Amino acid sequence: MVETGEGRAAGGLRAGMLAAVPIALGYFPIAFAFGVAATGAGLTAWEAAALSVIIYAGASQFLALALLTSGAALPVAALTLIAMNLRHLLYGPALMKAAGQGAARRHAWAWAWGLTDEVFGAALGDLARGRRFSESYMFGLGLPAYAAWVAGTVAGALAGGGALADWPVLEAGLSFLLPALFLALLLSILSRPQVPVIVVAGVACVAGTLAVSSTVGILAGMAAGAVAGVLRRVRA
Amino acid sequence: MSGGVLVLALIVGAANWGFRYLPIRFGLGTGRDGAQDGGLMARFLAAVGPAAIATLFVAAALPFAAGGDLAAPLAGSAAVVAVWCAARSVVGATLAGAVVYAAVFALVT
Repeated sequence: MVETGEGRAAGGLRAGMLAAVPIALGYFPIAFAFGVAATGAGLTAWEAAALSVIIYAGASQFLALALLTSGAALPVAALTLIAMNLRHLLYGPALMKAAGQGAARRHAWAWAWGLTDEVFGAALGDLARGRRFSESYMFGLGLPAYAAWVAGTVAGALAGGGALADWPVLEAGLSFLLPALFLALLLSILSRPQVPVIVVAGVACVAGTLAVSSTVGILAGMAAGAVAGVLRRVRA
Repeated sequence: MSGGVLVLALIVGAANWGFRYLPIRFGLGTGRDGAQDGGLMARFLAAVGPAAIATLFVAAALPFAAGGDLAAPLAGSAAVVAVWCAARSVVGATLAGAVVYAAVFALVT
């Protein structure tokens, strides 16, 4: 059977949506917790939902709550949150580098909005395992994750505080989804040449987190790992 | 809705969209920017992905390590590795890790 372009697009969309399952499962409870925290901090359900729809970056949304409730000036809050998301500048180029020359990016203005940490990691892992890059795959990967994030926020905002208090084991299992996902993604891209990069990134992240903050730890880990990759001796 | 919350969301959201899209729009990483194979930029971009995933794993795992009781996170991590080695499935490994973590959490608390 000859596969049409439309068929390939549908296949890419389906494959992306399947790969997005653990991301969506991980996002929902975290977004739920954000919704609960937002209403607890005095925001309305609409305001909580608007933060998730418009910002769509988990850690910086939690930080936004802290800044809003502490009365930080708007420019200070905005610059702090923007600085926290600077790492996203690197994701598009790294993804397109892995996708190879000629990779389509006509609709990137839309699917790139969903290029969060987890979506980037999942896409990169699939490319490393031989999946061919397609924009339909990126839409399939990004849409369920975004939907889960917004739905989780709304559910949390409507439920109010303590909604998972009666289900501690479920809450615990859901809380471990994201570290488990990152570990699985790490295993999926693991290769001998990348071991120094991974070790340096991990050590720098721990050091930055312990010395300053988790945000500095994340930026330090990514920067130090990438620099280690540049300095790594290229074997013939 | 509070005007301040909406303005903050719009400013930060616009920056996020720019960070995620504009480097792709301007072709960074595609070879048109000097990122040829073997070049410094190519090696940098090739290392960004593994560095980012390793960093995000460590950042996500640190709160569990700081919690003190390592039985559940270690069991959950071992389940991720075991299922990955057996099935090479990111979805399966992730879900197995969460289930085993929850099971051990229930046993030790």
